[in-house]
Amino acid sequence: MKRGWFYLIGFLVLVLFDSVGAISFKYAGMHALPVEASTAWLLRLFGKPWIYGAVVGYIGAFFTWMTLLKHAPIGPAFAASHLEVVSVMLLSIWLFHEPLTLPHVLGAIAIVAGIVCLGFAESREHVPEEGSAPAQT
Amino acid sequence: MSTGSITPLVALLWVLNVVLDTGGQLAFKAAAGDPAAGDGFARWLYMARRPWIWLGIASYVIEFLIWIAFLSLLPLSQAILLGSINIVAIMVAGRLLFGEKLTRLRVAGILLVTLGVAIVGVGG
Repeated sequence: MKRGWFYLIGFLVLVLFDSVGAISFKYAGMHALPVEASTAWLLRLFGKPWIYGAVVGYIGAFFTWMTLLKHAPIGPAFAASHLEVVSVMLLSIWLFHEPLTLPHVLGAIAIVAGIVCLGFAESREHVPEEGSAPAQT
Repeated sequence: MSTGSITPLVALLWVLNVVLDTGGQLAFKAAAGDPAAGDGFARWLYMARRPWIWLGIASYVIEFLIWIAFLSLLPLSQAILLGSINIVAIMVAGRLLFGEKLTRLRVAGILLVTLGVAIVGVGG
């Protein structure tokens, strides 16, 4: 059970860092428009504070991720970390007044259903690892 | 703000993001999964002396700029959904390189995520 709490808190922290990072990324991009492959774009980007928020989100997510990866298989861990999709969608409707279109809603439902499947696949996989149950495939 | 259309530039940035993200993740897995690395601070020192973690960081730095450009051209809610394709790429790569299992549930998950990304990509 100790490992379960470790994963739960770890993934919540990861989703938090990822959400802060994504929002900061969007603000950073918005304040550096238009997009161009030039130093002028990089200067605009790094001249505003938003990118540093994104860096903090990135670094926080990086250390959380590396700590989790020590034990978790990469595929399912990566999937669980992607529940940030929902938090970021809701935040961007609120913060950026983005429309919630039907394709977005349907797409999000399919993606979250997929992520839930991957989450179940993970917990099933971890049963034999924790001891009592016989190996199953 | 209306929903963004997928121009060739947006599509290119999307593909580059997937490639760099998957490459970076695989490099981090190679660094973190090394059983010889030990524990605590010594583990970080060991990883820092080997190329994998730096390869992962380099991929991430480039991906960082690619992702900002991608987000500048699309609404965030749409971009974050399209970015979910990384899940599929990483699972397939994990299967190919680390022999991680693809059970029926995982295949179902991969198909659902792909379907969702396709709906968002085609539907706008």
